[in-house]
This record gives sequence, C-alpha cells and structure tokens, in this order.
Amino acid sequence: MDQLKKELKEALIQALNLEDITAEEIVDEDPLFGDGLGLDSIDALEIILILERNYGIRLTKPEESKEIFYSINTLADFIGKNRKK
Amino acid sequence: MNKYSVYIQSLASIYPQDEAVEGRFSACEPDYKEWIKDAGLRRRMSRIVKMGVTAALQCLQNISEKPEAIITATGLGCLADSEKFLQSIGSHHEELLSPTPFIQSTFNTIGGQIALLLGNKAYNTTYVHRAFSFESALIDGLMQLQAGDAGSLLVGSVDELTPTAYHILARMGVWRKFPAGEGASFFLLGNQKMERTIARIVAVDMVSGDFSQDQLAEKRLNFLQKNNASDAAVVSDDMFKPICGEYQTASSFGLWYACTQLNGAGFVLIANSFLHNHTMVLIEKFKG
Repeated sequence: MDQLKKELKEALIQALNLEDITAEEIVDEDPLFGDGLGLDSIDALEIILILERNYGIRLTKPEESKEIFYSINTLADFIGKNRKK
Repeated sequence: MNKYSVYIQSLASIYPQDEAVEGRFSACEPDYKEWIKDAGLRRRMSRIVKMGVTAALQCLQNISEKPEAIITATGLGCLADSEKFLQSIGSHHEELLSPTPFIQSTFNTIGGQIALLLGNKAYNTTYVHRAFSFESALIDGLMQLQAGDAGSLLVGSVDELTPTAYHILARMGVWRKFPAGEGASFFLLGNQKMERTIARIVAVDMVSGDFSQDQLAEKRLNFLQKNNASDAAVVSDDMFKPICGEYQTASSFGLWYACTQLNGAGFVLIANSFLHNHTMVLIEKFKG
C-alpha cells in the first residue's frame, strides 16, 4: 500500500504540474481539494484519467467520488480494492 | 479624420539574449514566480502563457491606468500544448484526453489569462493571421484609440518555438535567412501624450506577394511619402532578427527594438518580412 501511495503521489505531481512539491510533502490523510493541496474540478478530471489509464478503473458512481477523492489514503484504498491492472 | 493620435506609453519584451544554438534562439525567461504569484494559476500555464502574461505585466508595471482593451496576437499560438494534446489523441486512441493541454492550447489563452490576472473585463481579442497577426492587433488598437472608443489599451504578441515546429518550418525554408526565434512583446498604447510617452504610432501597412527587393523598396518609399516621413530611419529585420530570430510575430520585437535600442528622435520605419508577407510600422520617436 505504501508503494501505491508513493506511486499515486508522483502521478499527481506530474499530471497536475504541482510545482515545488515532493511526494514526501503530501500528507496521506490531508484533503486533496480545498484546504489541503488546493486542487479543483479540472484536477479531478485529471485524477479520473489517472485512475482509468494507470489502474483500469472507470468510476461508475459519481456520487461516491467526493469520498474517494478526499485524500491519498482514500484514493489508494479505492484503487487497491478496484484496480484491474 | 482621426480624433486622436496614438502613443506608446510603455513597453516590455521577453526575447532571446544568448546566441542561437543549432539554428534556434530561446527566449531569456524571467523568474515567473516573481510575476505570477499564484502557484495554482502558474502550474496550469504552459511556457508561452507564462511568457506572454509576464511580458504584459512587465509592460504595466508602475502604470496607474487600467487598459480598456487587451488585444493579443500570435502566429501559431500555444504550440507546446497543442502538440501535447494532438499526440495524446493519437497515443490514447481518441479517448481519455487530459483537459489541461486542451484548455491551454487555444489561441486566446494568453489574452484571457492576462485579463484574469488584472481582473480586467474589457474588450479582449486575439488575432491569429500568421505574419500579419501583430499588425492586425495593432490596427484594432489604433482604430479604437483614434476614434476615442478607448483611452488606453494593451497590445502585444507572443510566439513560442518547439522542436516539432522548428523541423516542420525548416522544411518550408522559413529559417533560411535568420535562425528560428520566439518571444513576447507588449505595448501600452494611449491617445494622450504624456511625460513618459515614448513614441507616436503614425501608420501601419501590410502587403503580401512575391516582390523583388526593388518593388519592396518602392512600396516602402510610397508608404513613407504618403505619411510625410521620407526622412525616416529604417529598422529592417536585418537589424532585429539577428537578436530575436525569425517567427511570425517578430515585428513586435522590431517595434520594441526601434523604441528602446535606436538612438535619436524622429520618424522610424520598422520594416519586416516573413516569407511573402511584408509589414511596415511607422513611428515618431520622442526620446533618443
């Protein structure tokens, strides 16, 4: 799981062009949107692409995405349970 | 009859300041963090967007008036993001396309980002007419200021060079005369002469065709005579393109060059050619 989280953080940094932030600086339980990393709706679309391209996961229930995308922990947990590749 | 004359009140340029490497110039870029403080905005901006926005902000530095229009020009637009987006269409079989390069690949991204940063909701237009892009933007600004529809506005251009564009345009012979280049130049124009006013824009003209050097010289002479400026100094692209390189909106750097690097006051003609497209911008400089 730790490896998955590290991989996820690196994918986020690259896809979202997060300047001056290293994977170590992203706290697993901090919120990704709003107060935490300060991501927004366009970033959410980029995360959806990461899920589909890297892990073969297609989100079918948009109402659950707020919970899934809350933090690195929730995202990694969801990927761990649903990944197809 | 024009109600007002048009003046250059302020200007800024981001341009190459080192020698060309393997036939290519690269713009000497400032530390963008100093100009675009919001990291959230900055991280979505590609290189050309940061270059254009920063040149515009530098032009407006220490300026109190708010531009009543933002008019930008680009020959090829946000090339790097356009290439990224097109490559992504191919590599991902037209599915799962990333939204950011698409958003940033549009030609008017730079004008839009300048407006967002300034909180400016005025007229905002981008001209994309290859080698006539900058002059088209300039004419739009001139018409608004001459008619008194605006008192102050921002006009500028930006183009970036990518490896792909370099190779494609090399095949077309675009870099035969000068190395490939890039850059961003912005001008704050107004219709009131001030203490800081640098020059008056007298006239702008564009001609297209496969002219001989003699025919071109005759066209330039006619343009000068028509504007009672036969004694104008001439800044040809032989003077400024060895610095900025060749690109579709290099004439805006030519205007910046004539205003800042040329000694003496008086009429100056900035004469530019890009393939078969030729432009003439006549200014009257007030400061040496």
